[in-house]
Amino acid sequence: MHQWDFGPVLANADLLLAGLANTLKLTGTALAFGLPLGLALALMRLSPLRLLRLPAGFIIEVFRTTPPLVQLFWFFFALPILIQVEMTPFLAAALTFSIQSAAFFAEVFRGGIVSIERGQWEAARAIGMSPPQTMRRIILPQAIKRMLPAFMERAIELMKTTTLVATVSYADLLFQANEVSQKTFRPLEVYTAVALMYFTVIFAASLVARYIEHRLSVSGEGLTR
Amino acid sequence: MNYRWDFATVFDNLDVLWVGALGTLQLFAICTVAGLGLGLMIGLWRTSASRLLRWPATVFVEFFRNTPVLVQILWFYFALPILSPIEISALAAAALGISLNSAAFTGEIVRGGIESIDRGQWEAGRAIGMTPGATMRRIILPQALRRMIPALTNRLVEIFKMTTLASTVAYVELLHQGKLLSSLHFNPIETYTVIAVIFFLALFPLVQLTYLIERRMARGDA
Repeated sequence: MHQWDFGPVLANADLLLAGLANTLKLTGTALAFGLPLGLALALMRLSPLRLLRLPAGFIIEVFRTTPPLVQLFWFFFALPILIQVEMTPFLAAALTFSIQSAAFFAEVFRGGIVSIERGQWEAARAIGMSPPQTMRRIILPQAIKRMLPAFMERAIELMKTTTLVATVSYADLLFQANEVSQKTFRPLEVYTAVALMYFTVIFAASLVARYIEHRLSVSGEGLTR
Repeated sequence: MNYRWDFATVFDNLDVLWVGALGTLQLFAICTVAGLGLGLMIGLWRTSASRLLRWPATVFVEFFRNTPVLVQILWFYFALPILSPIEISALAAAALGISLNSAAFTGEIVRGGIESIDRGQWEAGRAIGMTPGATMRRIILPQALRRMIPALTNRLVEIFKMTTLASTVAYVELLHQGKLLSSLHFNPIETYTVIAVIFFLALFPLVQLTYLIERRMARGDA
């Protein structure tokens, strides 16, 4: 029977925590770019202009139906050849996950915007608001509130997806786990500890998401599905 | 932007990609059967009246939903062999990770489906003398399964995409073969573009089908 020993893991806790910090940094960056890009894609997809609608639809579908790992490899290995840029693992990952999560966020935005009753548009028009004004002042504020739970869920998915970046040698939590397990010859303890670290952070985020969803459904402002 | 695309090296090696595609399909088939089957069981346990079934199922669901699937695969590949007396192959590790992860998500879909069925259906089943087991089997599940179809086809898409993670433990699937090709022929642009297109072509019809079913259901009563 295997003799469990978490000593080597604890001795390398600083490496793992640095990895966790990098995971959070990447998640935060992808969120910061993914959310506005997602909103832009959603607005384009809802536009009456075909010139805006079609490209947005194409980007959304491509990034939703291809595996994120393939996207990451494409951005990391292929893109630097097409456009002469120095590609770092972080840049490739930030690009991939920003666009990928934007595609998913776009669908959440679109669902939220579409869920607002037509009467709101008509009312705004009746008092002389332009369509963009209506979108900004009337529709979006209501829609965003309804979309909150779906956003949280996507953000959590995003954080789980960032583990893929370990495959292109960015020092996130999973990559550090690899390093530490090779250094200490304790893969069982290291991977178990790292799984628990992910679980703690992600489960806490899930609980917050559930609390918000519960609050919204109590006040009757959740997305009725 | 003066790069000259050259797909010849990719198309000359389609047999290499074909081997990968078979690996992808094999893993997809295993994970679909195991993930959805186990997910149905987990979902039933989650809605069970017995605490002895409900609690373990809840712990299972929460754990596998709240950790990244890549961590799960690597745990099964690097950590489990230390505990287990048997050899864990790359296929086994990937299949375990993806199947259990999918089972947790499927379990939640099943639970949602079952809970969405009106209580009156249970009472009606009981009124005509059906046992809870029979009511579940004959009344509740057939209706619930219909409502779950869009979420389940969505799961299939996710499982298919997840199979690429098996390349990290050197299981021979499409992406793994793509890596091989691109390092042999120095053509990452063409290879990874082709791989992305293959995945897109394979999944786009399934995604469109899901949209279609969702729209149908939103209109009609289902």
